[in-house]
Amino acid sequence: MSDPRDTIRAETLQGSAPACDLDLVPAGIKRVPSGVDGLATERLVVNIGPQHPSTHGVLRLIAELDGEEIVNVETSVGYLHRGIEKLAEHRRYHQLGTLMDRGDYVSGIHGELAAALAVEELLEIEVPPKAHWLRSLMGEINRLSSHLVWYGTFGLDCGAMGQFLYALREREALLDILEAVTGQRMMFNYVRPGGVLADLPPEAEQKIRAFLRTIDGYLDEHHALLGGNEIFQKRVRGIGVIDRATALSFGLTGANLRCAGVPYDVRRDAPYAAYGDLEFDVPLGETGDAWDRYLVRMGEMRQAVHMMRQCIDGLPEGDVMGKVPRVLRPPTGEVYARVESPRGELGVHLVSDGTDTPYRFHYRAPSLFAMQVLEEILPGHLLADAIVIIGSTDVVLGEIDR
Amino acid sequence: MLPDKTVVNSALGAIAGGAEVTETTLGVVARVAASEAPAALAILKAEPLDFVMLVDMLGTDTGEDIEVTYHLRSFSRDEDLYVKCVLPYDGVLNSVWTVYPSALLPERETAELLGLTLARHPNPKRLLTTEGTPPLLRRSQVIRTIEEVRDR
Repeated sequence: MSDPRDTIRAETLQGSAPACDLDLVPAGIKRVPSGVDGLATERLVVNIGPQHPSTHGVLRLIAELDGEEIVNVETSVGYLHRGIEKLAEHRRYHQLGTLMDRGDYVSGIHGELAAALAVEELLEIEVPPKAHWLRSLMGEINRLSSHLVWYGTFGLDCGAMGQFLYALREREALLDILEAVTGQRMMFNYVRPGGVLADLPPEAEQKIRAFLRTIDGYLDEHHALLGGNEIFQKRVRGIGVIDRATALSFGLTGANLRCAGVPYDVRRDAPYAAYGDLEFDVPLGETGDAWDRYLVRMGEMRQAVHMMRQCIDGLPEGDVMGKVPRVLRPPTGEVYARVESPRGELGVHLVSDGTDTPYRFHYRAPSLFAMQVLEEILPGHLLADAIVIIGSTDVVLGEIDR
Repeated sequence: MLPDKTVVNSALGAIAGGAEVTETTLGVVARVAASEAPAALAILKAEPLDFVMLVDMLGTDTGEDIEVTYHLRSFSRDEDLYVKCVLPYDGVLNSVWTVYPSALLPERETAELLGLTLARHPNPKRLLTTEGTPPLLRRSQVIRTIEEVRDR
């Protein structure tokens, strides 16, 4: 009986269609297998995931190993595909936010915001100033809660445990605030075309101010607890290096791009909501390794707190919803709207044909691009480091599969 | 920021058939022949235009053919450019991954969901759906349920 792994290898790693012309392969892409000590061992194909605690959802990696070293890796996705883009063609424009919540489910506000911005651009709806500020405030609260999930689980990937419990303590307070404002802890449906669902209730403002009184000290403790751990530093320093050229050519955005030293942030370079009026820094990395990605995201958490303070102090008076018709019928046209989600540039490409449903709705998922760079950077690393590198890129499978 | 139409037009004059550069609600759009798309993108990526990143790629069923859109970005000039080409329903999508490796997965998704054949790609498999699934993003694929039709 033949070895079934041979078939898997032949089908999954080489592909069944005509082979690629090797002369076309750029130097950086070609993967030459190398043994650890010059001696080749038997190659082993290992499926990591989709049901694996370290793959952050349902990511499946088909890894070809030479001993402990990864020689070749292929990512396999689609286990969570719900056809959001197709469903959107059968929904009205008001209903797009509901679908976007289920894309990147860890930071739903940003997905809703991208869809709302695209619809507003097509219809030229004017959004009241207070709605702009509430969008920024809720966006930063959601960004902080999303980064706290990443921080907790990234530590778990590296073998640490305690920080996860403390991260969820802070996240619980943030979800309480989100629940008080939007009525939901996860699928918010708060940002609508034309504004936001509701004003801040009085108790939410008290909750936000109480949270802001303590969070600075907690973030210092978080950084000391995980970042100050010598074992953690040895696990993450120098691995998973994404240099500037690789990051740009693979379309990375967000913290994964900024860790390579490219100062691009949608909030600063193409301001939306109230970000044009807010003051904030864009943390940058230098070497592009997993440690840099950790530092950039920790810096972003502090900036999110800084922006939350400005938003709650500078919140203008007025309506939270502009004048919006009951049924939205945008004129024929095509727009692209982008926001800075915790994972990078989240874009919505919307084509309208003048009816009450989108003609084509495309969701530019930052995690999709962050995931495909794994096939480029994982070869040459140890299997244990691969788990850390996946964690450091902070991918959410809900938006990869859509 | 919008790129200069004349600069893009003259740079793309080198490819067969040239390009038709217009400004739409989307931004500046360069329409090229599908067979020339990889060559056009290679010109746009190089100096002096410097569109170093393929931000996104998508296909749209226009009702007559498939329109493929490449979204490019230059960081040095802070400009976005859209390159569009059209393919027939049974067309062949030529991979541009040697120019922009970020196209690897979006191309697989586009070919799969719009029913195109993917060529010159190192791993031209399905990405999201299982074998036998029809091309879901074609307009001819209607998925609305009986309840949704009734309640509209």
